[in-house]
Amino acid sequence: MGGVIRRLLIANRGEIALRIIRACRELGIESVAVHSDADAHAPHVAAADHAVAIGAAPAAESYLSIPRLLDAARRSGADAVHPGYGFLSENPAFARACGEAGVTFVGPPPDVMARLGSKIEARQVAGQAGAPIVPGETPADQTDAGVQTAIERVGLPALIKASAGGGGRGMRVVRAGGEIAAAVQAARREASAAFGDGTLYVERLIEGAHHVEIQIFADDHGSVVHLFERDCSVQRRHQKVIEESPSPVLTPALRERMTGAAVAIARAAGYRNAGTVEFLVKGDAFYFLEVNARLQVEHPVTELVTSLDLVRAQLLAAAGERLPWRQPDVQQRGHAIEARVYAEDPAQGFLPQAGPLLLYREPRLPGVRIDSGVVEGGTVSIHYDPLLAKVIAAAETRDLAIARLASALRGFPILGIRTNIPYLLRIVEHPHFRGGSIDTGFLDREGAAFAEAETAIPPHVREAALAHSISNPQSAGGTPKWDPWNA
Amino acid sequence: MGSVERVGDGVYRVEANGKMELVYVAGPPNDRWVFWNGHVFRGDFGPSTAGRHVPTEPSKQSLTAPMPATVVAIHVRPGDRVTRGQVVMLLEAMKMELPVRAPGDGVVSAVHCAKGDLVQADAVLLELDA
Repeated sequence: MGGVIRRLLIANRGEIALRIIRACRELGIESVAVHSDADAHAPHVAAADHAVAIGAAPAAESYLSIPRLLDAARRSGADAVHPGYGFLSENPAFARACGEAGVTFVGPPPDVMARLGSKIEARQVAGQAGAPIVPGETPADQTDAGVQTAIERVGLPALIKASAGGGGRGMRVVRAGGEIAAAVQAARREASAAFGDGTLYVERLIEGAHHVEIQIFADDHGSVVHLFERDCSVQRRHQKVIEESPSPVLTPALRERMTGAAVAIARAAGYRNAGTVEFLVKGDAFYFLEVNARLQVEHPVTELVTSLDLVRAQLLAAAGERLPWRQPDVQQRGHAIEARVYAEDPAQGFLPQAGPLLLYREPRLPGVRIDSGVVEGGTVSIHYDPLLAKVIAAAETRDLAIARLASALRGFPILGIRTNIPYLLRIVEHPHFRGGSIDTGFLDREGAAFAEAETAIPPHVREAALAHSISNPQSAGGTPKWDPWNA
Repeated sequence: MGSVERVGDGVYRVEANGKMELVYVAGPPNDRWVFWNGHVFRGDFGPSTAGRHVPTEPSKQSLTAPMPATVVAIHVRPGDRVTRGQVVMLLEAMKMELPVRAPGDGVVSAVHCAKGDLVQADAVLLELDA
């Protein structure tokens, strides 16, 4: 395990690659970016000390290719690899291959990752640690009929999930027996495409629950700490949209029980490095969902509410050092909230958008952090996740943090492709969200109105649009000459 | 109506109801993008064509790709009768499946793509006779 990290290869792209490159710079570690052909001019490539081309645009031929990443590590002389999130971050074969190549993998050991990646074994671990679990199983018989029988055993309504994945990919809700066959096939296709593994898992759907997850951290010296919770109940089709800490629904007693359960699960699993234990909360009860054996998209929420640097701690722990904090050092202060800005058109069924960023200006406001992976003049490609940026706001109270978030979103112009910013604003302005009472089904039940197209342009705004045409016909984009296949 | 002042590349200060507001503008006159206070407008806002918005309704007779995508599955052949809302094709982009639905009842008159094809935005995928 470990050893000092001098040169770190980041096996990822976009905002998370930039986040890790910045941590390297602070720690005096050289950074190595990897990129597909489509990303040769991407911001993460420009920001790193070194860059290695690893293949064609499709992720399977670049960011998901273990041989190409290992080859890039060898060629660049990297002594460690950070997988980021998504792609190969929870792939035990990649972690193992790094170890065999003599490269430190920034994450848990492969056997721990494999155990937690299996929903069955993860639930066994949670059960041993004394945490309550939701009824569910990975059917041994993975045929359509086998999965159908498993759904009948678990009971309706049920969730079909990709056994290998997360993030809502390959996930389907089934409420009636007649929907099962089509849902199983669609879930399997999506799971195969997104994770290279079509194995399905089925679970009883707990409705009206809140999604609350506990950030945990463990080192090689027996220390396991938690960094409190994140509430990710604002979800659209099981994809997180807004995350915050503290959770508006946890009492101090419930928080104590859940953080205790998360630490017990991490200990039972022999966990190392950063991880997240996800739970559903309904009333006073909570249920173990799964462990995400990696850094999460929403980790900045925890960073702002604890004032701790999670990526730095990951690199220290991976190098075999002690965690930089003990449990009493970790305090939850004030409130932090994150909104994910996606290239998607809510008015067209949240269709992912690809195209040129004619104008892209990040807001600069007190208490607001933007983690992003794009720049004005760049192109959003069809090949990868449509996350453009994360807007994270922190303040003394939840109300103030929400006000800051809204202010930042109202001052974040992105033109050339549609984004979900108008949709996000409608959510954060909604009284149920303000009241802190929304559950994971809220957006799917009541979110249709948030997704509607804009009404007519106000006269004074139209005047500015016309001024642009009169005084500056060439500026900020003439006729866009964008070719997605050569971008 | 108040004054409009250019304060940066694509950035305008506009006076409205005694308040100054920032408006961001990009794109050519016939397909202009405008951002104001978290709202986004797109279209042709020119005086002679006021109110005309650019993305027009797709033809009822042909189905086009909403964005660059890969054809994952085609569920119909020329001659097949389809009903409104029926999924006739599956596309994939950004790791998401995008079902393509028939805009009305009709008979498939032509299929212009094959499974595995990469299709451009607005490429005609399939034609229907009502």
